[in-house]
Amino acid sequence: MNSNEIYHLPSLWERIISVWYRHVRVYNSNFLSNAFPPLFEPLIFLAGLGIGLGAYIQTMGAVNYLLFLASGLIVTSAMYTAAFECTYGTFIRLEFDKVYDGMLGAPISPNDLVVGEILFAGTKGMLFSFAVLLVTWATGIISFPLSILAALVGFICGVMFATLSMFITSFVKNINHFNFYFTGLLSPMFFFSGVVFPLENLPKVLQYVAEAIPLTHVVRMARAFCIPGGLNSYLLFDLLYSVVFTVFTGWLALRGLKKRMIV
Amino acid sequence: MNDVVISIKNLHKSFNGLKAVDNLYFDVEKTECFGFLGPNGAGKTTTMKIVYGKSEPDRNQDTIINIFGCNPGKESLKIKSFSGIVPQQDNLDSELNVTDNLYIYCKFYGIGAREAKKRIAELLSFMELEEKAKSSVRELSGGMQRRLTIARALLNKPKLLILDEPTTGLDPQVRHLIWNKLRELKEMGVTILLTTHYMEEAFQICDRIIIMDKGKKILEGNPRHLLAANLERYVMEIYGADKDSASCRAYFDANGIRHEFFMDTLFAYGNDSEELARFGETLKTGDYYLRPSNLEDLFLKVTGRTLNELQ
Repeated sequence: MNSNEIYHLPSLWERIISVWYRHVRVYNSNFLSNAFPPLFEPLIFLAGLGIGLGAYIQTMGAVNYLLFLASGLIVTSAMYTAAFECTYGTFIRLEFDKVYDGMLGAPISPNDLVVGEILFAGTKGMLFSFAVLLVTWATGIISFPLSILAALVGFICGVMFATLSMFITSFVKNINHFNFYFTGLLSPMFFFSGVVFPLENLPKVLQYVAEAIPLTHVVRMARAFCIPGGLNSYLLFDLLYSVVFTVFTGWLALRGLKKRMIV
Repeated sequence: MNDVVISIKNLHKSFNGLKAVDNLYFDVEKTECFGFLGPNGAGKTTTMKIVYGKSEPDRNQDTIINIFGCNPGKESLKIKSFSGIVPQQDNLDSELNVTDNLYIYCKFYGIGAREAKKRIAELLSFMELEEKAKSSVRELSGGMQRRLTIARALLNKPKLLILDEPTTGLDPQVRHLIWNKLRELKEMGVTILLTTHYMEEAFQICDRIIIMDKGKKILEGNPRHLLAANLERYVMEIYGADKDSASCRAYFDANGIRHEFFMDTLFAYGNDSEELARFGETLKTGDYYLRPSNLEDLFLKVTGRTLNELQ
């Protein structure tokens, strides 16, 4: 217990990973209850829509409808898990549990904290996407080997929606206000980003709106990996959009949350 | 002064135009236990937060903040790497058990897994929490949570320990245990900054204190010296004195005894306890209490007895 030790300041990467590790540790400590939703949700979704709706719609464009739908659900599950984690989860850690206050007493900066959390949301998004893939492989809906890469798109999607959600959290003062975000922003996004129906036949205006929405781009990327012959150069644009979106909203989130943590 | 490790000069901090810290200055020597006393809203917690960079002071050219050679504005991470911080409100990770709480912080401090295991065992034993190693944080009593928070702050073997009201709301046993541990840490060479409302705490463990009010420093010094220099040795409290206040006042005035009224109690101060007692016996009510003066009397003398809007 002497204090003649040499103090070692962990590197930026070590600090970010230690924040990420904190979340992983918490997630794993409730592993069973946490593993249930990502596996069961896509199952009921596909069963419900597939059996019900699938009886009327066999194909969507040139693609089997269940395959079309499943390839979109890979990313929406990542979107929702990242959004929940970085709104309610972040808000509770920030305001109610004061977990961040504790962490900021250790050699962790607000930036380390936010970036570590965004990476964790990405990881969780990837895990949820992978769970959807497992279900769709098992049920034979998706069989294209390259579809494994759609899980990486789940990571990108998780990170994108983590930055957006944390930006929202940075100015929300009342936890109930997240309802506006989920019902007002994410629900419409779910329907107008090409998950349940293709965008090609929408009115021109709505097509432009869809192109501006982050979810549209990750849906397109995920789907391209699930359907044979789906890859094309347009996906590079989707990737570029995702990177620019992440950097910009990530910067906004960092700026806003830092103001709330250092007063 | 020898070996000053913390030096603060011209420190200002306002929140929405309200001055929380007003031209504060102090120096702390190595291995000193330095206490901050003051009513709620005096600026104690804000000062603590500024020391480790959780709060940013107002921009001011004359402000100097030197914490073991570091400036919290630029080197907050470095300061936190050699400090242990115990905030006013326990902020343990309620989603993790006791050991995991400490283990995660070892990660934050960059302590390797094997060393971490050793440190955790050492500190659980130091804070007498061995039996709770696997308990969830929610199952711990307030005193245990506090001890765990202190254990967490000691993981990196800090040379500076910052404690914001370490014993508020705890029972006497735990309070004494914590004081004891803090004294041990001081012997080991740790410099301690602490805020407290408990005058006895300041008396027990602080080498020097400053009394703050409305963001300003009012008094500074060793608790015993401050008491001797600023206050008579005895206080007599006379309850229900409002009934015959005139006769009391007349007597005190005639004998040159300093006294004051607050609500229904009269406080009379003097260095001669027998003189005060003699007067007490003549009172009709006979309801009085004669005791040595303490830091609380000094505190009330300099910060006033009435509440301010922040309390």
